[in-house]
Amino acid sequence: MSILSWRVVPAAIVIAVFIAVGIASLGALFLVQTDEGSWLTVLSAPYIWRLLSFSLWQAFLSTVISIGFAIPLTSVLLHRQFIGRDLLLQLFSLSLVVPTLVAILGIVVIYGRYGLLSTFLQGIGVEVDIPLYGLFGILLAHVFFNMPLAVRILMQSCTLIPASQLRLSYQLGFSRWHVFRWIEWPYMKKSLPSIFMLIFMLCFSSFAVVLSLGGGPKSSTLEVAIYQALRYEFDIPKASLLSILQVAVCSLVAFFVYRFTPMVWQDLSLTTNQIDHTKDSSVSKIIDMSILTLALLFLLPPFVAIFTPAFSMLFIETLLAKPTWLAVWISIKIALPSMLLCLIIAFSFATVARFFIGKSIVSQRSWYWLANTLEHSGNIILMIPSLVMATGLFLLLYPLGLSFEFGYYVIVWVNAVMTLPFVLRVLLPTLYQQERRYHFLYTALKIRGWKKFKLEWPLIRASVGQASAYAVILSLGDMGVIALFGSQELLSLPLYLFQLIGSYRLEQGACIAVLLIGICLILFYFCTHFIGGKNARY
Amino acid sequence: MLDIDLHYSWQQKGGVHTNVFRSHYKAHIGEGLTSILGKSGEGKSTLLTLLGGFVQGRGSIQYYGRELIKLAPDERPVTNLFQQDNLFPQLTVWQNIAIGLSNSLRLTDAQMQTVNWALERTKLTAYANSKPDELSGGQAQRVAIARAISRAAVGDSSSKKSILLLDEPFSALDPKLRMDMMLLVKELTQQLSLTTLLVSHFPDEVKTIGGQFLLIEGGSVVLQDSVELLSAENIPVALHTYLK
Repeated sequence: MSILSWRVVPAAIVIAVFIAVGIASLGALFLVQTDEGSWLTVLSAPYIWRLLSFSLWQAFLSTVISIGFAIPLTSVLLHRQFIGRDLLLQLFSLSLVVPTLVAILGIVVIYGRYGLLSTFLQGIGVEVDIPLYGLFGILLAHVFFNMPLAVRILMQSCTLIPASQLRLSYQLGFSRWHVFRWIEWPYMKKSLPSIFMLIFMLCFSSFAVVLSLGGGPKSSTLEVAIYQALRYEFDIPKASLLSILQVAVCSLVAFFVYRFTPMVWQDLSLTTNQIDHTKDSSVSKIIDMSILTLALLFLLPPFVAIFTPAFSMLFIETLLAKPTWLAVWISIKIALPSMLLCLIIAFSFATVARFFIGKSIVSQRSWYWLANTLEHSGNIILMIPSLVMATGLFLLLYPLGLSFEFGYYVIVWVNAVMTLPFVLRVLLPTLYQQERRYHFLYTALKIRGWKKFKLEWPLIRASVGQASAYAVILSLGDMGVIALFGSQELLSLPLYLFQLIGSYRLEQGACIAVLLIGICLILFYFCTHFIGGKNARY
Repeated sequence: MLDIDLHYSWQQKGGVHTNVFRSHYKAHIGEGLTSILGKSGEGKSTLLTLLGGFVQGRGSIQYYGRELIKLAPDERPVTNLFQQDNLFPQLTVWQNIAIGLSNSLRLTDAQMQTVNWALERTKLTAYANSKPDELSGGQAQRVAIARAISRAAVGDSSSKKSILLLDEPFSALDPKLRMDMMLLVKELTQQLSLTTLLVSHFPDEVKTIGGQFLLIEGGSVVLQDSVELLSAENIPVALHTYLK
């Protein structure tokens, strides 16, 4: 029996292309024509080490603060029922897909020098200069993005708490503190290493935030330096060296993720607990309320602030302007093919992985490792920041005479590949489950290929809908590769927004932000409801 | 004496239809061991969940004249043993028992002695410092029993947790070990004067351990008698239907 069946060959080819392009773009970084001296010169420059140490330091601080806030907030959200709780949780799930630039704009509008907070404080006679541009601004934005992400993952970990343990805690009369200490904390603790690594990696390779709020070379990171080396200095050896440095650090972090993160298994005994019998007290109520209020005060204003221009004439003017609709068209022209490409790659991964799961079920030998490896190889993308991948592709295409002109295709490819880990995370568990449950039935009834897909569609469409929504929105809001390849002819909404923020046209920027969010919501609704069906999850 | 007169209804989702399952449990349960028999889905575990206070039923649960229905789970004189996850994996065996007496694990001398006594009674003294994942299935369930008896042993008559509810906690064990555990429960029930309710799917094992039994069908107690009836030649129709 051959290892691969001919039925999965097309999917295997897609995976092979995906891996080959990845390896080729990384290889291109190493093969840049440069003499040893220039590498050493670049490496020995104190500037590089300052960049590296600042990148690490801001990522570390951002991660610690995000998780530090997320832990008590998760506990509060697990215990307290209040009006708007579900809305808040949905807002948290959206944090992953809200275009970075939109949130940055919201932060600037609230915390900027002439922002609402400063104006309010001046109004009550308090003179405070909020140092938004620099480390403080970067931390503020990173916590704004990553704290909700941490809360979401922590809440997911806590759903693994067996119902009987919670019942036990009610029977033993645990107080609010004891439920946290003896039940929630051990479960949260298990997922902390992976959350730490994930957020650290996201912050370490953060681009748009540092570019917008860094405020200058003092607060710059490797990712921004790569962009500057390519876009402004056109120093290819320097860009490739910085990219290699970036990949090296990310790989090291990723190694720790997979080496030291314990697997968190789903408990099958889960049942929903309808009544929370935890002993309550005034002190715990006050503490919980304070935590919640702080979180709301931090998270909500930037979102609310960007919607205020929606009621002005400027909004209509901006909406009717030609550049706006050109940017909308470019954004959609990038996002839809990117989503399609991402789904093709993801389904190819799923097809091959399912084939090996099926093989494990019927044969003595376990092929699960191969299915897991395939799943992880999709995740490996997280080690290679989008800008680095784009740089590699640029270096590949440059000798062929195809560089910035070929930008559109590079953007579509990189966006598709960068959203892959998120899409795989949504799609694979559902598809794996189908294979495990119905493998024998499929084999006995000879249900394969398209017939199998049609049969499964009602069961998997919710996941496909959610995966599509992630893919299209992440691509639509991307402000990574487009910054490198973008031009006046290739100006997407996020890039247009970046230019407006950069020229302090905040009100007009807010209009674009509202438009961008509107398009995101429409596409999100379309994907989850039309592709996902009525059982769509959010 | 445990007097139950409880109503509870819930929605059962099956395909496109949603049925409302209505239960009404009425029984007078004496001290000692009472096994709960019945087919799957008839409402055996629901009865224990109601008695534990994890879901709120209507009616009355009286234990020696004391009304329990309005009490929170921790205020009831009850200890539940579930099918699984009865232990906190991050705590040692000793701590898992102690947490039943003090949530902060700050124990008085008397409470410490009770924990040690419970360890001895369940033959777990050698495992006091082990973590649950180092134990076998039977040992892990013995720890849960040790916690239950330590709760039943301390305090005055109103604070003692002398109702023990076992929802198939030994179902994952092999038949020999399961029997050993049931005999241990029987012995402790007699020695500590507990009121123990044990859900079982094995009428033969129930015959061996003796005591009373309740037969549950469609959310109601349709029969209550001594387990000797299970071996009798002429048995009621409901029991016959269940046993065939």
